[in-house]
Order: sequence, then structure tokens, then C-alpha cells
Amino acid sequence: MILDARDFPDGHSLTSDICVVGAGAAGISLALELANTQFSVLVLESGGLKPEQETQNLYAGTVVDERLHSLPDRYRQRRFGGTTTIWGGRCMPFDAIDFEARDYVQHSGWPINLDALTSFYPKANQLCEAGQFAYTSTSAFNKPLRPMIKGFRSLNFSTDTLERFSCPTDFGARYGNRLETAQNVRILLHANATSLDLDKDGHQLNSVAVTTLPGRRLNVRAHQFVLANGGLEVARLMLASRGVHANGIGNHHDVLGRYYMCHIAGTVGALTIYGPLDSVWNGYDISDEGVYCRRRIALNSTTQREYHLANFVARLHHPRITDPAHKNSILSSLYLAKFLIPYEYGKRLHGDERADLKTWLKHIRNLSMGPFDAAKFAWHMLRDRRLADRKFPSIIIKSKANLYSVDFHAEQEPNPHSRVTLDHSVDALGMPRLKIDWRYSKTDVHTVSKSLELLATDIAQSGTGKLAYDPANLEYEMTRYGAYGGHHIGTARMGTNPTSSVVDSNCRVHGIENLHIASAAVFPTSSQANPTLTIIALTLRLAQRLKNMLLNT
Amino acid sequence: MKQNILVVGSDNVVGSRIVNTLQTSDWATAVPLQQASDLSTYKLEDVTGIVNCTMGGPAAILASAQRLFETVKNDDDRTRIVHLSSMTVYGSVNRKVDENAHLLADLGPYGAAHIRAEEIVNGHLNTVTLRPGCEYGPGCPQWSVKLARLLQAHRLGDLGIKGDGLCNLIYIDDLVNAVLTALRLPDLGGERFNLSIPSPPTWNEYLISFGIALGAVPVRRITVRQLKLETRLYALPLKLAEIVTRQLKIGATHPPPAITPSFLMLCGQRIQLDSSKAERLLSLQWTSLAEGLKNSAAAIFENSLVDSKHL
Repeated sequence: MILDARDFPDGHSLTSDICVVGAGAAGISLALELANTQFSVLVLESGGLKPEQETQNLYAGTVVDERLHSLPDRYRQRRFGGTTTIWGGRCMPFDAIDFEARDYVQHSGWPINLDALTSFYPKANQLCEAGQFAYTSTSAFNKPLRPMIKGFRSLNFSTDTLERFSCPTDFGARYGNRLETAQNVRILLHANATSLDLDKDGHQLNSVAVTTLPGRRLNVRAHQFVLANGGLEVARLMLASRGVHANGIGNHHDVLGRYYMCHIAGTVGALTIYGPLDSVWNGYDISDEGVYCRRRIALNSTTQREYHLANFVARLHHPRITDPAHKNSILSSLYLAKFLIPYEYGKRLHGDERADLKTWLKHIRNLSMGPFDAAKFAWHMLRDRRLADRKFPSIIIKSKANLYSVDFHAEQEPNPHSRVTLDHSVDALGMPRLKIDWRYSKTDVHTVSKSLELLATDIAQSGTGKLAYDPANLEYEMTRYGAYGGHHIGTARMGTNPTSSVVDSNCRVHGIENLHIASAAVFPTSSQANPTLTIIALTLRLAQRLKNMLLNT
Repeated sequence: MKQNILVVGSDNVVGSRIVNTLQTSDWATAVPLQQASDLSTYKLEDVTGIVNCTMGGPAAILASAQRLFETVKNDDDRTRIVHLSSMTVYGSVNRKVDENAHLLADLGPYGAAHIRAEEIVNGHLNTVTLRPGCEYGPGCPQWSVKLARLLQAHRLGDLGIKGDGLCNLIYIDDLVNAVLTALRLPDLGGERFNLSIPSPPTWNEYLISFGIALGAVPVRRITVRQLKLETRLYALPLKLAEIVTRQLKIGATHPPPAITPSFLMLCGQRIQLDSSKAERLLSLQWTSLAEGLKNSAAAIFENSLVDSKHL
């Protein structure tokens, strides 16, 4: 059943066995898992079924350095379906090493290991419509794939692992009907959770205060509560709930909001692959189920330990679009059409340098040199991306000169000084706004620079090509576009010790009997992997626990 | 001495499989009848059971049930009737249903005919009613052969939100076993049984797995736009072509199958048949989906009903 909070009278009270705050990837997965059980489920969603600017504005906040981190209302969507309404769909599980306490990665280590999620990943994959849970080329394909770089052999890197792509699935559009028809699930739209109200001892959450934009106040009581409102908003809501604990809920030891991570990402270098054009394959392979898969160059765990590196993957990429020196008509056409591309995907197209007339003219010249290639590409993007339900995931350009760049995506070291706090200003509901102070560390720079050095060496030693880049300029390149947008991790980290973590190994907030978190906020470390698949796997694990808890009570 | 079992609807795939299985058994002799009107040619005293697996439109289903009842109404409930009904009797519900669930005639004349047919034949107290889901397996025209052709043509595949319903499959051999058990077990008169594998896949899962088994890969994601075209534009002429071809008995000519609105509706329906009663009382063992799909695909290739060039 889908309801609207604006239809209830002021002061109305709702009750449920389980109350879920947020209807994004985590909230909807949780509700689906609890659908058609004996327990009543109430999901609070701030937005409606469509985007609404007034609601989206509730995400607005500030950042300490806008060059390093985009504003908080970017890369997030406050509506039914959450950020899955705009995500890119890249799926991959965490690696076993990501869960380990590594002495060379400060504050690393989860209280659970990969085995705790193994049984939940396949279902998470299914919900993302990413096909079977097979993340190596040998397990996902019946026949050998063409080599990524012919003849490339490395003891440090594997080219066998895959990333798989969701449609990308908009969880609201895809699963809304299933939730609407579930007998025990109610979705309450336009319901903004503005405060978590504890009992007087501060050990039990009694209710969630809900406010609508027109100003009506509702009250939701439940046996169990789950915050599934995203890595930034979880911290904001808990920090702002100061009725009993002055520093906010789950923040006795000033951990909440700290250790904020994204990913370290960038595009660097000039990678030349020797030999004929078929010596290299940088595109997608389609699995039997029709899912786009792409191989990466993944740093193996032995090398990570040996050189004290965090996790790291790289992909073969096209040259930087903004620089017309690539002389590629397709890339130049993208540059010229950048104003048509949404901010979240267009940021890297716009670049950080000011384009002068000369640059524009060079791009136009590139386009005029290959108008048929550009037209063919436009048709491909129209047919396989714009009009397709399963969308071609990204721009893939096959270089006619075997010339590529390296697109990397690296784990970020947890850092207590990288944090989100509450600002002095408030939103339209009176909630304090967020202030984001994202920081990276020397370990992050070391991970990227050493990994690229190893990759350059291995490519040269295998005689397959040459990777040229400027090591002195690397720190600039890895922060050129700031933190990787949309991955909000670590603000309510998981751990066994309440003095250094916010939730326990079951995602329950330390010291609060009935408050759980389903979000990347609980990840103690970020891995190289995009977070959505692991958020869902962890949420499914939480759903199982909640069912068991309620059955036992 | 072997028992005589009349099989009404012996020309369809389920009926013919029942006939063949009975013929090779050591306890029964099958008497195949194409339609219920043929019942009058047999003396009921020599018959211990009748299986009604009439398929077709609402009129045929009702006429068959009526004729069957007329035939046995004076035999003091001696003859065991096994009547094959359908899951459509539960209508458009979206939940798990057992045999006691309310029947709902909101899916059109076909479902309504099955409900009425059940009422008619159950006027005879020694009737066992089976409500199978979607019969699949070698030769099954609706849920194997037709779907195979559509998958090979990449007109079906992953249907996204439209294929989120549950696919209550029953492998043809399991259905035949259920019929045979229902014929032989005493004290089942008046019982009704749902027949579907436990934990049914979604339609998307079934179609993707079947597509892979057929080698129709990569299985395509079918857009909502394309499905609209299929059901609103192409379905009617294709259905008419199918009827004309059938009426004219044009042997090997098969027009492309239609994707009808009712099929698409079924693909989105989250009904789950609870078959635990059949497991319990009929001691049914279910053929695994993997095994069933393997056999279905093998039969498709063997009979060259669809292009197997991709294998």
C-alpha cells in the first residue's frame, strides 16, 4: 500500500512492527525481504514518486572545499527509489582483504568477514538485475573471452575479475508495484524523518518524528527501526536527534560522522598497446543472461600486503575528453554536447580548465574529420542506451591507434578527520544542514602512485605496451575532480568497540536495543568496489536478523 | 485383470502422455477418446476411471464437463473421475493460495468456464480435481514450444517489471504421475489439488533460464515499449493467423506466435500455488527446474521445432 503523509491529520500516530527510514536501494530491499511475512512494515520516504525540487532542496548543505567534494544535494536523490533513480549500475562484491584489519591501512578491519555476506550477495545481485553472482570471466562465461591486453602477464594484477552492470535498475520503479501489493507493507511518501526519539534512559527508540513540507507532524512507533536513508543522511539524522543524548544518538564517543570516505578515482597517463588493433579489448562482454560485464585490472591482495597498498582497480579508458589533442571525433562530439549530459555524468566532460575559443574550434575540427564515426556512435547510444531498458553502461571508444588512458578506482583509507558535521543553518523543516569536510591521506596517494608504477612496470616487462604518466602530477590528477561522487561511506562505522564505532556487527547502534542501520554508513572501509551491491547484501543479512528477532519476541 | 481407463482429450499432449503411460503400466489399459461425446460409445460397467483432460476454449471445456457428468451421474459414484482444471480458477489474486482459497472468475471466460466445469463434474462425488499451473516439458505446446519460438526470435526474454510474477510450473511427467496416483488412491473423492513446483521461479527467471538452455543467447531485455507493440498491435493478427492455419489444417506451417495481453498479465501475477497437499496425499516428487528445462530444450532441438543453429 502506498500512502501519503500529507493526507494524515496533524499529530496522527502510526504503528508498525518494523519502521524503515528511506526507500532507496537499502530500504526497498529490506521491505521486499520482509514483504508477505507476518510482520507489519512501514517505510518512510521523504520524497514522492517523481522528483520534486522542494524536497530535493532538503539535501542542500555545505562543503569545506568544493574542489574536493561536490555539494551534498548532488549525486543523491530524495524520492521513492532514492539514488537508484540516477545510479550508473556498476556492481561488484567486496574482496576478502577488504574486511581484514591491515596495519598499513589505518583504522581498517571489519568485525565480520566476507563469509558473512557470501550467502546474501546472489540475492543482492538478483535485485540489481545483474545476472548470476559470477565475478570472474571464467565463472561467468562458458568460453574464453578475448584477452584484455594480449600477452599481458603480471604477478601483481589480475585481468580475470569482472564488474557487472545493473540495467541500471531504478528500485522504486522496478519494485514499487511488488511492495504496493504486499499485504503487510505500507510506504508513506512525503514523510521526512526529522528526529529519533529515545526513551528516557536512552537505550530504546520509542518513535520517529515525521514532518511533511506543509508542516504536519506525525509520529511513528515500532518495535524495530532501521535507518536506510543513505551514508550522509544517516549521520545527519542521528547527530540532529539530541533530545536525550546531547551529542546525538550513537555518538557517545564522537565517532558518528567521522571516517567519511568516498573513493579515490581519476584518469591518467597515455597507455600505448603494441601490436594490431585486436591486441586490446576495452569493451563490454555480454553474458548469456544479457548482462553487460567488463573486466578490470585488479591489484591482487598479495601485492597489496607486500607494498602496503589499499585496494585498487584500473580500466582501459579513452583519452581525456576535454583535451582535443585526442583527435577523436566521437570524444569531441561528446565535449560539444556536454550541456545535454546530466551533471553527475558530465562533470568529467566539463573539466576544470576554462575552454577557450581555440579549444572549441579544435573539437569542431575533430568532429568534422570523422562525422560518420560520430553519427554511428550517436545511433549506438540512442539505440543501446537511451531507448534500451538494459542500458549500455558507458562510453567505450576503440582507439584506432591502440592509445588509451588508465581509469582507476581505489580504496580510501579511513580518516577520523574526514567527516560530516551539522551546520548552523537549517532546512525548510528546521533540520540542521550538513557540512562536509572530506579529506584524503598520504596512504591514498601512495596506493595510487605505487599501483600505477607497478602497472607501468608490468606492462613494459610483458612487452605489451607502454604506460607513460607524470608521477609528480599524480596527486593533482587523482583529486582533479574531487572525491568520487555518490559513494558516501563510513559515517556510522561498524565495530565491536563502542568507543571506536557506531554499530555492532549486526548493524545495530551500540547501546540502542532497537535501532539498526542499513547503509554504506556502516562500512568501516570502502574497498575498491562500488558500494551498492554490498549495501544490499548487508541489508538482506539485517532483514534475516530482524525476522529472527521478531519471531523470538 | 487390468482396469479400463477412459482418457478424454487423448489427442492433446497431456492426454496422449497419460495414454502412453497407462498402456505401459501393469495395472491399466487406456482407452483414448478425443472428445467427451465419444463417451457414449463405451459401456461404463467395464470402466473404473475416466480422466478428463479436455483443452480448448470455454465452450469445449464446459461441454466436456457436462457430457462427462451426464455419463457417470447414475453410477452411484463408482467410477473415479480425474478432472484436470486450471490455476485460472483463482483469478487475479497475488498471493499464495491453497485449495480452499476463494475462486474468482475475473480473468475472463476461460477462468469462468473452468470454475463452472469443476462444479459440474464434482456433482459426481468420486471426482478428484487437479489444478495444474503451467505444464512444461517435451512437447508442451503452450509453455515450452511456443515460448521457445519466441525466445529464439528474441521477442521474449527478460521482461523486467512485466515478468515479475511467479511462474507456477509443473513438469509434464509430474502431472501425469499426479493423474495416475489420483486414479488409484481410494478415498480421494471430492478432493482438489494444486499442482506446481514449490518455490516457483519468476517468469523472468524461467524465460532467461529457458533461453540459455535453448542457446538463444544473450537473452534480450524486452522493453515495455516493445511489449506494448506486441500485445496491442501484433497479437490480434498473429492470433487470427494461428486460428486460420489451424482451421485450414496447413500441416507444417506455423505463423509466428502471438504475445497476448493475457499472457503478459500472467507474467506479472504474483500468485503462488500451494501444492503441499499434493505432496502429502499424492506423494508427489517434483522434477527439478534444471532437469525439466534440459529435457524441454532437448526435445525442441530433436523435433526441430525451432532453429537450433545457435547450439
